Amino acid sequence: MEARFLPAGDCAMLVQLGDAISLEVNGRVLGLYEDLKKDPVEGITEMVPTYASLMVQYRPDKVRFQELKKILEERAARAGSVSQTRKVIREVPICYEGDLAPDLEECARLQGTTTDEIIRMHSSHDYYVYMLGFAPGHPYSARFEEPFSFRRRETARLSIPGGSVVVQQNLSDLIPFDQPCGWNIVGTTPVTITDFRREDPFLVHAGEWVRYIPVSRREYDRIKKEDAAGRYKVRTIEEA
Amino acid sequence: MGITIEDAGVFTTLQDAGRTGYQQFGVSVSGAMDMEAFRLANLLAGNDRDEGALEMTYKGPSIRFEEDEVIAVTGADMRPVLNGESVPVYTALAVRAGDLLEMGFASRGARGYLAFAGGLAVEPVMGSVSTLASKGIGGIEGRALKKGDRIGLKAPKGTLSRMERRSLVPPVYPTDSIAVRVVPGPQDDAFSPEELRNFFWYGAEITNDFDRMGCRLKRETPLKHLGDGNIISDGIAAGSIQVPTNGQPIIMLSDRQTVGGYAKIGTVITADLPKIAQSRPGMKIRFIRVSMDLAQDLYIRSVKEMDAIDTYLNA
Repeated sequence: MEARFLPAGDCAMLVQLGDAISLEVNGRVLGLYEDLKKDPVEGITEMVPTYASLMVQYRPDKVRFQELKKILEERAARAGSVSQTRKVIREVPICYEGDLAPDLEECARLQGTTTDEIIRMHSSHDYYVYMLGFAPGHPYSARFEEPFSFRRRETARLSIPGGSVVVQQNLSDLIPFDQPCGWNIVGTTPVTITDFRREDPFLVHAGEWVRYIPVSRREYDRIKKEDAAGRYKVRTIEEA
Repeated sequence: MGITIEDAGVFTTLQDAGRTGYQQFGVSVSGAMDMEAFRLANLLAGNDRDEGALEMTYKGPSIRFEEDEVIAVTGADMRPVLNGESVPVYTALAVRAGDLLEMGFASRGARGYLAFAGGLAVEPVMGSVSTLASKGIGGIEGRALKKGDRIGLKAPKGTLSRMERRSLVPPVYPTDSIAVRVVPGPQDDAFSPEELRNFFWYGAEITNDFDRMGCRLKRETPLKHLGDGNIISDGIAAGSIQVPTNGQPIIMLSDRQTVGGYAKIGTVITADLPKIAQSRPGMKIRFIRVSMDLAQDLYIRSVKEMDAIDTYLNA
């Protein structure tokens, strides 16, 4: 798809680089984002990469719509895509036991399988983080193998606890703060997802991958204590 | 030393120009709803225009001063009273240690701003002191002020130069209806040309569901999308007019979420966002279509006006 430059008021523009949720399109979004970060354009104040577009906020007293559109056309053409060959993977511990996995049995029933099989399907694939949004540090992420057949719950819960890991189809999100939610809770991570005490408060970033590491209840409690003391760090690995 | 909140008012938060650069991580921008009144309060108080100030909603707080300081009150007129005597808004005021400033209810407008010369001594979070109460970020412990809060003053001033000219003409806010200018897009193509015309032809009513996140409207006839109105979630600018599946528009404001999956028919121009900040539930709102060129001319004009006032007061 040709890039589209959509007006979002006098101080923002959406650069739409595709009309699908895919690694290819998102790679182009992050490619343009990286290019503009490396070689900034005067007047741009903030960028918000999402699934298929980059929102560029700018000051019209520094650069006007038509002028910026021309610059971004050139940049989008030269930027290309961020490399998908090198994966940055964050290993996020998850406990699938008892009250930490309140919907695990429901997931198994909906999928027509065992809870062990749900855990295997959920934890044996990596999840690509398309973007952060909705709440601080909330990743929108998906796997590309063995999607679940079920979608949302029939009725949403008014509040689920921060730390919950929720699923539907091929999607799995980490929930950083208590919030209403209509997805099933498959497990809970002992790690604080968004922690403003950390130098980088956000556990994962757009373009990175999440790998869930199943841990026992005992291990969960141990990590939670370390995390509360500010001593736990998730393992980050890079794969070619 | 500093100030003590003796009564918090209805909803009083610390705000500045907002948190820039963190929407990409899902952190809302926040910041003053009426940037114009907010900046004028700071300029009157001799501050940088984007210094943190208190945003007061409908009824402001009562504040005891423990040091001499210069303050300025702008936005909705909450009839400030200093030690029992009425004092003017849009005017720099010298207050003394021990003084009590009491705000009442605004009869017009919705949001007032109280700026302190030298600013309040509050640690910024992610580069901003703005309060995002829904997520507990920034401001005073991430929440609205409450009785008993004590806040330090960074660099209190007993007086400012040229105090006699530190006064501006207060605006008069409408009470029944507002008209705001809108640039169509980014997803105006999710509506038929007739429906887009209807959007600009027929107004809507501002509902009670109106807070710092957004202003929900009620149209007599809901807007119809060409499709189901869902888009691949993308970024949301200040003033974006989202149209959810039910066809009732929502104007997205300071504490808006960073991404959303509903089509956005248009965006209220920056220069007209203060009108929304000062409107109230029950009022009517109408949308006027303008070109990008005009919207950006108006933006530039308002920056120049603010620069001129800054020069007049503080150069």
